[in-house]
Amino acid sequence: MTTFNRRSALKMGGALLAGSALMPHAAFAQSKSINYWHTFTSQSEQAGLDEVMKLFAAAHPDISVTPENIPNPEFMAKITAAVVANTRPSVTMVASERFRDLLAMGALTDITDRVSSWERRSDFADQRFDSITADGKIYGLPAFSFVDWMYYRKDWFEEAGIAVPTTLAEMYDAAVKLTDVGANRFGFGLRGGPGGQNIIINMMEAFGAPVLHPDGSISLDRDGAIAGITYFSDLAKNAAPTSAPNDGFRQVIEGFQTGQTAMIYHHTGSYQDIASKLEPGVEFGTMPIPAGPVNRVARLAYAYNTITKAEDADAAWEWIKFWGEPDAAVAFLEKTGYFPASTTAAADPRIGGNPMYAAASETLGFGIPQPSFPGAAGWAESTVLPAFQRVLIGEATPEQAVDEMIAGLAEATQ
Amino acid sequence: MSRVSASASPPPRSVWDSVNPVRLIGELSETRYWMYLLLLPSALLITAVVLYPTVYGMQMSFREMRLNRPDLGTDWVLLKHYNRMINDPIFWLSLRNTAVWATSSIVLEFLIGLIAALALNRNLPGTKVLAVIILIPYFLPNVVAGHMWALMLDPRLGVINDVLVRIGWLDSYKAWFADPATAMAAAIVVETWHSFPFFTLLIMAGLKGIPTDLYKAADIDGAGPFAQLRLITLPMLKTIIAAAVILRVIGLVNSPDLLLILTSGGPGRSTQVLSLYAFQMAYKDFNFGYAGALSVVMFILLMGFAYIYIRLSKVNQD
Repeated sequence: MTTFNRRSALKMGGALLAGSALMPHAAFAQSKSINYWHTFTSQSEQAGLDEVMKLFAAAHPDISVTPENIPNPEFMAKITAAVVANTRPSVTMVASERFRDLLAMGALTDITDRVSSWERRSDFADQRFDSITADGKIYGLPAFSFVDWMYYRKDWFEEAGIAVPTTLAEMYDAAVKLTDVGANRFGFGLRGGPGGQNIIINMMEAFGAPVLHPDGSISLDRDGAIAGITYFSDLAKNAAPTSAPNDGFRQVIEGFQTGQTAMIYHHTGSYQDIASKLEPGVEFGTMPIPAGPVNRVARLAYAYNTITKAEDADAAWEWIKFWGEPDAAVAFLEKTGYFPASTTAAADPRIGGNPMYAAASETLGFGIPQPSFPGAAGWAESTVLPAFQRVLIGEATPEQAVDEMIAGLAEATQ
Repeated sequence: MSRVSASASPPPRSVWDSVNPVRLIGELSETRYWMYLLLLPSALLITAVVLYPTVYGMQMSFREMRLNRPDLGTDWVLLKHYNRMINDPIFWLSLRNTAVWATSSIVLEFLIGLIAALALNRNLPGTKVLAVIILIPYFLPNVVAGHMWALMLDPRLGVINDVLVRIGWLDSYKAWFADPATAMAAAIVVETWHSFPFFTLLIMAGLKGIPTDLYKAADIDGAGPFAQLRLITLPMLKTIIAAAVILRVIGLVNSPDLLLILTSGGPGRSTQVLSLYAFQMAYKDFNFGYAGALSVVMFILLMGFAYIYIRLSKVNQD
């Protein structure tokens, strides 16, 4: 009978060690792990990410990606803490308005050389990199686009005999006509709560008060801003639910899905969520953002994937450039509605052949980027939004709110 | 047989004796410095874990420290942030809101917690199950409780609005967090629901320690339930109540998470409190210097509150 003792265990261990040295190295190839911080929240966004990860896993079996969802309101707090404590993620999704703040705190890695030699560089127009470039250095790759547009209740518009508005004045009239407070029906789902600050800034710019000027200077024209705030607060008072001062993304989307509001302002990323509750082309339609009296302001922004941990740069680069592959971009669009940033992917017949995307394609022609400068996001969230809310609840006049915004802007940029 | 004399002098020290670490430690343990040596590891740990971060946070408040403006440097700015605070209307509004938020929540949490603890202490059938059920809200993380109540009070789908409309208390669904007249009150209700079990738990533990003889004697003397509560129960719970109030006030003043989820300080700034303002300053504006100054003020206010409260409640005199 064979006995198993310490000596035989040592012999077996030695034999295994010797055997492993003779085996092909591929059998022991270490798979590289990276983590990916993103701000996807909705089911459709999660499904889109899953789809891209599935395609990536098939193309790069040696790299495993661990996604970590960081809710948008907590994103800057988490990434700031991670940078200060040097516990950075390998890759971080960065919205363009956050780029300057993250760059200033040293969170991002310069990838200019990698981008120059990237085989898909020609698929992306130079302008796609504007919002992620500083001093000639590129810090990220565009993953997908945020194309601002509007959703409207096509059936309600047809029933009331109202044409799709092309100007903000027409939009106001349509919203008021479609409002029936007794029936809990409102013309416009106004996002006056978390995340609403960017739309307020857009309204001021539409009335002639841009924040960031072509020469790089930062200021707010008082009269234009007052006109924009007056318009938007009047729209809230006459055609929006009373919950508007606290309505964020969830509330605005739910309001539209449940038949409370006739129009909402968002980007293409919520398309699949809306389409899951209302029939596209029958119950709801999409339209480009209407023109203001001075400017037509529809944001065309990009979500960028950036390398935030230099040690993982090689594997991280494979992951961030994979988002530029047409198959990955179209798969993500089909799950979410987010437009590809790549021109090759955008030319895909699955996009051009869908009439619901026509408004987004039109917006690509006149859309402009979000103003981005150090302190922009903080000013928008901590000053612009509360000041506008004060107008909505009758605590301040548009003039007082704009004065507060101008003072806050000076403080943020001094 | 040899005999050792008690008065014999110790053997002379060899060279080895003067360097022998065991002997040296033995000798040191006979001196008054030994206790300091024993305290040293704890003192080092406390310094590293408690004192260093506190002092570091305080020194930040005297520096320019804006993470998104490295061009400004991190020089000492002395009282710049404190001067700004004095002239900052949002600071004063936040201070007032903090007082309303903390005081209202504490009063409600204490009253409901006391009533629940007294009821559960009667040892009636089912009270053990009820005690567990009552504690459930306290086990929920603030984030979960906040989102849950945001949905229940939702002006479109909220079950509470639906119930209030059905019983005729409301004509239509109300946007509780969008109206400055109700936003703070609604947030206080949520906070009270979430944290009153903390008082219940501590008061129940205190009630178990009150001798029943006192109540029997009071009964014989003709004291009714309210007299017994006033003259026996509350005085006997004084220390526990004082500790619970101080801990909850610290929690309420320092934690912005519930208000961050429910209102983000809005509408306008009607629910803006100091902790939320400091959080926004640090993580939205990246102005850690000013956020540090706000935190130092909160720290001083809480220390002052704890000191005055302990003095007034005369807990130390027992």
